[in-house]
Amino acid sequence: MNKKIQRSLAVASAATLIFGVSAVSSAGAAQKTVYLAFQAPLTGPNALTGQDELTGAKFALSEYNATNPTVKVELVLADDQGDPTVAGSLAPGIASNKTIIGLIGPAYSGATQASLPAYKAGGLAMISMSATRVSLTDKKAPVNGFPIFKRVVANDKFQGPALVRYATKGVTSPKVYLVDDISAYGAGLADYAKKTITAAMSAGKDSVPVNTSDYTSVVAKVKASGANVVIYCGYAPDAAKFVKALRDGGYTGVFASGDGTLKADFPVNAGKAAAEGARLTAADVPFENLATAAQMVAYTKLTGIKVPGTYVTSTYNATNIFLTCIKQGSITRPGIQNCITNGTFKGIAGDTIKFDRYGDIIGGAAVGAFTIKDGKIVYGGVA
Amino acid sequence: MNFSVLTTQFWSLCIQGIALGFIYVLISLGYTMVYGVLRLINFANSEVVMVGTFATVVAQVAILKNPATSDPLHGTRLVLTLFFALVFSALACGLLGVLVELVAYRRLRALGTNRLASLISAIAVSIVLSEAVRIYTHSAPVTSPRLLEKWSFGEVAGANFRVDTVMIIVSGGIIFFALDRFVNKSRLGKAIRAVSMSEENSKLMGINLNRVVSLTFFIGGLTTGAAAFFYTTVYETTQFNVGFNLGLAAFTAAVLGGIGNLRGAFYGGLFLGVLEQFSSAILGSQWKSVTVFLVLVLVLLIKPSGIFGEAVQQTRT
Repeated sequence: MNKKIQRSLAVASAATLIFGVSAVSSAGAAQKTVYLAFQAPLTGPNALTGQDELTGAKFALSEYNATNPTVKVELVLADDQGDPTVAGSLAPGIASNKTIIGLIGPAYSGATQASLPAYKAGGLAMISMSATRVSLTDKKAPVNGFPIFKRVVANDKFQGPALVRYATKGVTSPKVYLVDDISAYGAGLADYAKKTITAAMSAGKDSVPVNTSDYTSVVAKVKASGANVVIYCGYAPDAAKFVKALRDGGYTGVFASGDGTLKADFPVNAGKAAAEGARLTAADVPFENLATAAQMVAYTKLTGIKVPGTYVTSTYNATNIFLTCIKQGSITRPGIQNCITNGTFKGIAGDTIKFDRYGDIIGGAAVGAFTIKDGKIVYGGVA
Repeated sequence: MNFSVLTTQFWSLCIQGIALGFIYVLISLGYTMVYGVLRLINFANSEVVMVGTFATVVAQVAILKNPATSDPLHGTRLVLTLFFALVFSALACGLLGVLVELVAYRRLRALGTNRLASLISAIAVSIVLSEAVRIYTHSAPVTSPRLLEKWSFGEVAGANFRVDTVMIIVSGGIIFFALDRFVNKSRLGKAIRAVSMSEENSKLMGINLNRVVSLTFFIGGLTTGAAAFFYTTVYETTQFNVGFNLGLAAFTAAVLGGIGNLRGAFYGGLFLGVLEQFSSAILGSQWKSVTVFLVLVLVLLIKPSGIFGEAVQQTRT
């Protein structure tokens, strides 16, 4: 490496350490204090995801600190904007800060992949609350997170089958027509959904590029195939156009889609009538459905938010795993890594969390099932 | 390959393809009119479509008192509302077309710069328009209220004659016919044709060149605005980047039929609409663009002037 590049790299990592990372409050110097980093998009177009998740981490931490522990824990916020490029330049700074003993996040799969080299080199254990890309825990993938990466969210390998299960629930002799949007997310999810659709159940498959406006030929194919269940793997704006075209074309069967579509603007863009009854899944169970009444009061008091956003549950669980380990006396990076890898933990729903060798929860994390009722997204249990 | 879809859906695909084709026809008229007169591809036309879709939404929302909860309209009120939105979108696009010409092309033309300069400035205008709308709408899709209930006139041989499909085909046909008559029969149309044959000679004949160019952009904008109205009424949603795909398809249609030739745009647009429907039904939607551009390459290889390009070439040389 030439000198100039070396020098600019050094300046860049020093700058991220100073500017990209900021500690939340620094009271309580008498006790021993350890730090957990929290990496997610906190500004930029995806900021809502990170800000929602942050409330889960803060809430878990407030519960922990209320018990007056011997080791105090504080959060260090790392804003990667959900962007792999930003994440890649942010990670070395965090990895080199030895007071940070664990990392909650990153929230996004791409950002996770970009951060991994630095964290692997630093031996920093990480638990993601929302990075669902299958390759992150796939032992055959060229860049996987072994051994430091764990996640408490169901990856698309679990969501795919759950989506098919939920879409065909209560449908007599289901004929499934599968449509994806050819994006990395949509095509990936469709691949895992396809594996659970038997030949007898399958009515056909199509791949419609993102941003297509005319879905009439797909509707024609769905009708010709005699399908009574249509599963769409893609994002909300396209799902809205597709379901509208289906309903206008006279299709009356089930419409189902994954977490890409689970957005409040889906029923708005599709229109109340077309979106009604749509079945959606997400690797997330709403926090308010699992927390106790007292916890919800405390959560609202702490964050000022009445209805928690997405992935609060998984962030809460991820934070609690770290806190459990710290409580058990693991306050170094190797100690935390050892504790997470070998320990057994409890999720907020009372579920058992134990990680397999490559970082996924053994048995898979829960996938939530939702329906659209009267223009609103309604939670309906685990898919 | 899935040919079984043809057994029940053949006519349905045909009629949907023709309706989609008419949207392409109207947009490609915007490209072809300008090309005929200036020999210049107006790349900003794709963003004129995009602005038109937003103009349609604005007009519809302005008329409905409470767009979020209102039911579809009926009778005279429906017809008047649709007509108002059509006129509003067409005028907005027509005026935008004139403005684009004034800002991006006129001075370059007066300075006698080469055509590449105009091309770059067209691309610049197009980026400015789409980015401005993107920032204003926060990159989010905008939904138009449902004015038109999608009832059907009936089904013939599996083809569903839905009211919006029929509306596009009938009004698209009328607009094209009117434009064709205007260009071929009226005095102003004659002036446009004269300029497209020879700028220099038409100036000698006392034709005001700048006025004819503005008129051409205005008319091209009108048809593009009409297309934007139909698009929004059928799909009920729009976004800052909607112009890219539509513009590309319409440009392809214009080139297929022979750019600069009105009837070429007509047949090119309809052919493209039907081709898109059948290729995505038979081969799968992911093959749609592949098929379309393969056909375009083949046509250009065999007949570089496009299917109907020859008639125009003759008038020019």
